[in-house]
Amino acid sequence: MDSFSSPSPGSSQQMSAQDLKKQLQSQLALEYAQQFLETVRGKCFEKCITKPGSSLSGSESSCISRCVDRYIEATGIISKALFGGSQH
Amino acid sequence: MDLSELNSPEMQKFYSEEQQKAVITETVAKVTSECWDKCITGTPGNKFSSSEASCLSNCAQRFVETNMLIWKRFQSMQ
Repeated sequence: MDSFSSPSPGSSQQMSAQDLKKQLQSQLALEYAQQFLETVRGKCFEKCITKPGSSLSGSESSCISRCVDRYIEATGIISKALFGGSQH
Repeated sequence: MDLSELNSPEMQKFYSEEQQKAVITETVAKVTSECWDKCITGTPGNKFSSSEASCLSNCAQRFVETNMLIWKRFQSMQ
């Protein structure tokens, strides 16, 4: 994943500390989001797809939607209980 | 910015802050995962029941206490 632009040979480095911090923060945010999605996927597949059929049923789909919402909500409840105030 | 500035006091402070944020993020993720398993036993609904919501909140607090208790016990064995 190449999100740093490589300077052409011989030119001075273009990136400021501010730029670097922003890039690092957005890469971290992306990583956190990916990890979160992976967790949610596991939990909701487990809860909602109990007997895999030949296609995703309507009730399975709505279960998954609800599950995602609930998991996000649960994360907020835990975050508040642990650190008192919502963390992103 | 050249390579030597990667370790400037400003960047060190930044790394330290991001590391703390990472610890928080990871802790919330882990506790949420465990408490979800303990508290959300049925199919997810349109909202949490009050017992589910309080279970989650209690679970987080019990986790913190468990952590401290384990640490104290371990220390008393040193």
